[in-house]
Amino acid sequence: MPSWSSFQPFIPIGLAAGGVYALSGVGMVVLYRATGVLNLAFGAVGAMGALIAWSMINTWHVPGGIAYATCVLFGGVATLLYGMVFGRLLAARDPLVKAAATLGLALLLLGVMNRLWPAQVTRSISLPTDSSGFNVGSVSVVWTQVIAVGFGIVMTIGTAVFLRVTKIGTAMRALADDREITATLGVPVRRVEAAAWFGSGLLSGAAGLLLADLVTLASDALTFIVIFTLSAALIARLRSLAVTFVASIVIGLVDNLIAPITSITNFRDMTPFVLAVAALLFFARGRQYSFARGGIR
Amino acid sequence: MRKHFGWRVRIPVALLVVAVGLTIATTGFGKSTSSPKASAAAGLGCGAGTGQKATGTPITLGAIVTKQPGTDFTDITNMAGDYFNCVNDNGGINGHPIQYTVLDEQTNPSQVAADAKQLIETDHVMGIAGNTSIIDCAVNSAYYAAQHYYLIESGIAEQCYAGSNEAPVNMGPRYSADGATQTAILEGAKKIAFDQSNVPGTGYNLGGSKLIAAAHHIPITFLTENAASINGETAAEKEVQAAGTGGAVVLVFTPPVALQILQGAQKLGLENKVIWTCATPCNTDFLATALGAAWNHKLFVNAEMSDLHDDNGPDAVLFAKVLKLYGSNVAGGAGSFSQFGFTVGQLAVKALLSIKGGVYNVQTVNAAFKALKGFKTDMLCKPWYYGPLPNNTDWTVWPVNGTMQLVPKTGGCMAISAVDPEVAKVRAYEKAHGV
Repeated sequence: MPSWSSFQPFIPIGLAAGGVYALSGVGMVVLYRATGVLNLAFGAVGAMGALIAWSMINTWHVPGGIAYATCVLFGGVATLLYGMVFGRLLAARDPLVKAAATLGLALLLLGVMNRLWPAQVTRSISLPTDSSGFNVGSVSVVWTQVIAVGFGIVMTIGTAVFLRVTKIGTAMRALADDREITATLGVPVRRVEAAAWFGSGLLSGAAGLLLADLVTLASDALTFIVIFTLSAALIARLRSLAVTFVASIVIGLVDNLIAPITSITNFRDMTPFVLAVAALLFFARGRQYSFARGGIR
Repeated sequence: MRKHFGWRVRIPVALLVVAVGLTIATTGFGKSTSSPKASAAAGLGCGAGTGQKATGTPITLGAIVTKQPGTDFTDITNMAGDYFNCVNDNGGINGHPIQYTVLDEQTNPSQVAADAKQLIETDHVMGIAGNTSIIDCAVNSAYYAAQHYYLIESGIAEQCYAGSNEAPVNMGPRYSADGATQTAILEGAKKIAFDQSNVPGTGYNLGGSKLIAAAHHIPITFLTENAASINGETAAEKEVQAAGTGGAVVLVFTPPVALQILQGAQKLGLENKVIWTCATPCNTDFLATALGAAWNHKLFVNAEMSDLHDDNGPDAVLFAKVLKLYGSNVAGGAGSFSQFGFTVGQLAVKALLSIKGGVYNVQTVNAAFKALKGFKTDMLCKPWYYGPLPNNTDWTVWPVNGTMQLVPKTGGCMAISAVDPEVAKVRAYEKAHGV
């Protein structure tokens, strides 16, 4: 077993990854609660936004700030468009059908990205905060890592407060409980759902940008990084934002803290699956599990 | 009774059709057939160099290439195809254009086996040139031998360097990693961390480095990464810890993945902690440019092909011209992969031009491939011959202000260590056959 000092450098890396998974997880859970859609295209939308930002900076020489804002906005608009067209058409269908439809969107975007941004080219996004940081003991911490964790915390708390105190947030929570009754009470269901799609999309754009910097700017990797997010959301049973945040941080930390342990480091990819399965089995003790909205009963 | 579908059904179906169409349009079905390109190619010196477009019956060649998340070798086949297009615009092979069919695969054995059968039994290609697949040699070597096909390729798996029917232009990951390990030891590494993708063949790739390190009494640790979802910072920190103080890291990855690791190392301030070395895929100016001046003289790259900054020979010049005129599909630009493809193309064309009597079929094309020897190019250290490992001597380069340049103190070509028994066998073969 490596010494404690060997694990230390992986703590900020794991926390940063966990912070971005939390950001994505919050977006995914909020959308699921409001619309019943488990958005598997979350990573693909973020990836495309990040690649657009990369092209804007490197091909069209647009200032970084505008490119990054475009990335976030692309996430919001693309997700909103999907929600307005397919979200409505599939509103009455089973959650599994809705989730599968978003997988279709993910694969479509992946095809487009592979065509427009071929994988052979080396690309990267480096945020201005990459070049500075500080040391905690012998461990160097980059400001982007701090931003990732901080953004995850702020978005989790901010979203929870938003859902509790604002009118539209209350409407989203009502939709999560019962869509039909909420509609009969006069809540503008479509407008509320549109807000959920757009907000969730903005988070996918922000997460895509941060992951492009912290992990990699590759369409395939960013598309399928949704697995980490999905695991965190499932551990939270697609309900609790706080549990989603904690699960995301734990997944990010465990995945990275395994890295220096030579005997198991090559099995790190299993981390989200193992943690999600363990959590689901734990929560499902003596209960009936259903994929439908409502989860475990 | 006729059923009427409402807009709730029609619109999604219409959108689905559009989406499927877009997907097919953007990704294709894994098959691409090159077509001659009209251009101002006269005088380039491709093939016969006539400047006349070839219009005869086509000579059909084919290839199989890996294209999957984290591993994409299509720059090799694309560049080979570009050279063939240049040849076709310069008289072809005695007036016959080369028709090049490339099938991509995703490390699926049944798919790769079917691809080989399609090329040979359905498309009836006369020769196979440019194969670059993680598992093709392992799956199809016996089949190619049974069909009497002699391949010119870019090898990866062990079987590409063992059979009598396969001749690679490159060393492949094992021998290039051998070279990177040798360089690490020459630079004074006390311990080595060897990291590569967790794709089939990892045990084979590290075999030579293990023996070379052992011969120098240097401990070596072997790591693997999932290239499709790698976190550069995590991988870099892990490697540096495994290498320890005064150690070296040997990277065996494609350029995009190597870049993620090296940029991760830079973010964490690890570029000066160990000796960084890399196998041949890192020999690309794209990587040097993306890394920037912070990595000047800090990354030793084993280069199976010449570095284009220092190589001003005729083949390097022609390569650059063909890449500029025809190479819009070579996404990675100039680098080892595109050099492999170009050299495969040159070898195939040289073989085809050597066929007497104007009869081009499976027998004549493969006999010509097999008979190749003494092929000189300034992009290889030694003349190439048809054999299991003709490229076993190469260079070491490092990044300098956005380009890969020869490391001056290495003094040119370096022989891959014969401590690796496979290299020793090849040296004995060369001695016995006078090549």
